[in-house]
Amino acid sequence: MKKIAADFDELDSVSRRKFLQYAMSGAATILMVQMSGAAATQGRGKGWKQMSTKHQYAYVIDINKCIGWGGCVRACGQENDVPEGVFRTWVERYVLTEDGVYVDSPKGGSEGFEPVSAEIQKKAKRSFFVPKMCNHCENPPCVQVCPVGATYKSPEGFVLVDHDYCLGCAYCVQACPYGARFINTEKHVSDKCTWCYHRVKKGKQPACVEACPTGARIFGDLMDPESDVSLIFNDSQWMVLKPDMYTSPMCFYVELPREVV
Amino acid sequence: MKKITALTHLYRLGALFIAFIIVFLLVRQWATPSDWNYEVWYRGDSLTEVGNLPLTHGGNESCQVCHADVVKKVSKLRHKNLSCESCHGPLATHVRGEKKIADAIVINQSRGQCLNCHAELVSKPQGFPQFTDEVEKHTTLIEGEVCLKCHDAHDPTP
Repeated sequence: MKKIAADFDELDSVSRRKFLQYAMSGAATILMVQMSGAAATQGRGKGWKQMSTKHQYAYVIDINKCIGWGGCVRACGQENDVPEGVFRTWVERYVLTEDGVYVDSPKGGSEGFEPVSAEIQKKAKRSFFVPKMCNHCENPPCVQVCPVGATYKSPEGFVLVDHDYCLGCAYCVQACPYGARFINTEKHVSDKCTWCYHRVKKGKQPACVEACPTGARIFGDLMDPESDVSLIFNDSQWMVLKPDMYTSPMCFYVELPREVV
Repeated sequence: MKKITALTHLYRLGALFIAFIIVFLLVRQWATPSDWNYEVWYRGDSLTEVGNLPLTHGGNESCQVCHADVVKKVSKLRHKNLSCESCHGPLATHVRGEKKIADAIVINQSRGQCLNCHAELVSKPQGFPQFTDEVEKHTTLIEGEVCLKCHDAHDPTP
């Protein structure tokens, strides 16, 4: 009994101080190793800062101009090497009738559309095409849910996927309210529209915008007050898809009927 | 043999704790890419990699480099708003580097190519030229079914 008490005495006095000293020095060493490591990695990953410019890109889709020919979908597939059966952009056909809304998008609209069945056409009140794609939200849910940081928002407003780092867990595919994401069937990673970041960086327009013959798709910089998107953004009536999701999409739809979801 | 005291247990626990932290840091170091950017929380080089992907379509301005006369001529015609590559195929299949690798011929010269845009559909905007059923009678009047036999693809007059 006496012995144990003596042990505790020892612990209370000199040894506890010693233990704390060791512990503190150990923690300090770990902290220093950590900090030096972090500093080194930060120095290497500075690429994005040099490219950071004062741009805020936006995309405008004019429902009244789309003819649904599917050239944009084909151009996107060729430009971005999109596997068959999945689409980075696609065109939907809406047929509004008294009974409800018919929506179809055969092969993403890539080969155009056949006429609707006579039965639906008889009931049709209005019909139009809606091109869809990644909305490059200001507040993207897909970026929030990515467990490894493989999807991110670039300083210019592009939501991009790091194909080398993506695990393919498809959590982002579920998180996107617009269904714009898919798992690339060849690379087995998450894939989506990049607004043709590689083209825009070289001063070109996205492939779908260049392919559009009627001007239904417009892309540009909101920071440039003379650009087409700025003029439409400031002057026209536009809507975004699913505004109640609070994702702040950067694709603005002109003359979007309220039936479109 | 060394005497086991209450202090020994504490030392062992401390050693285990430190070992765990060291292993965690090593695994973390190994799993984190070297170009990871802690400020923005993504791989810094990824932006450069996505930006350096090769172009497939060059746009009409790249056609102008070699075919300035054609581009200038078409820019005054009815189909001036069309991308050359929509019918002629993307630039990457025509030119590599500065050398021509294949002719940019329009593979699909059938009426399907024209009807892809101009077939009549209720969903198309009003005012867009669409071929009604009458065109069927019109084409059967002429031998064969190729629109391009009479109409110029760059300047299709009604």
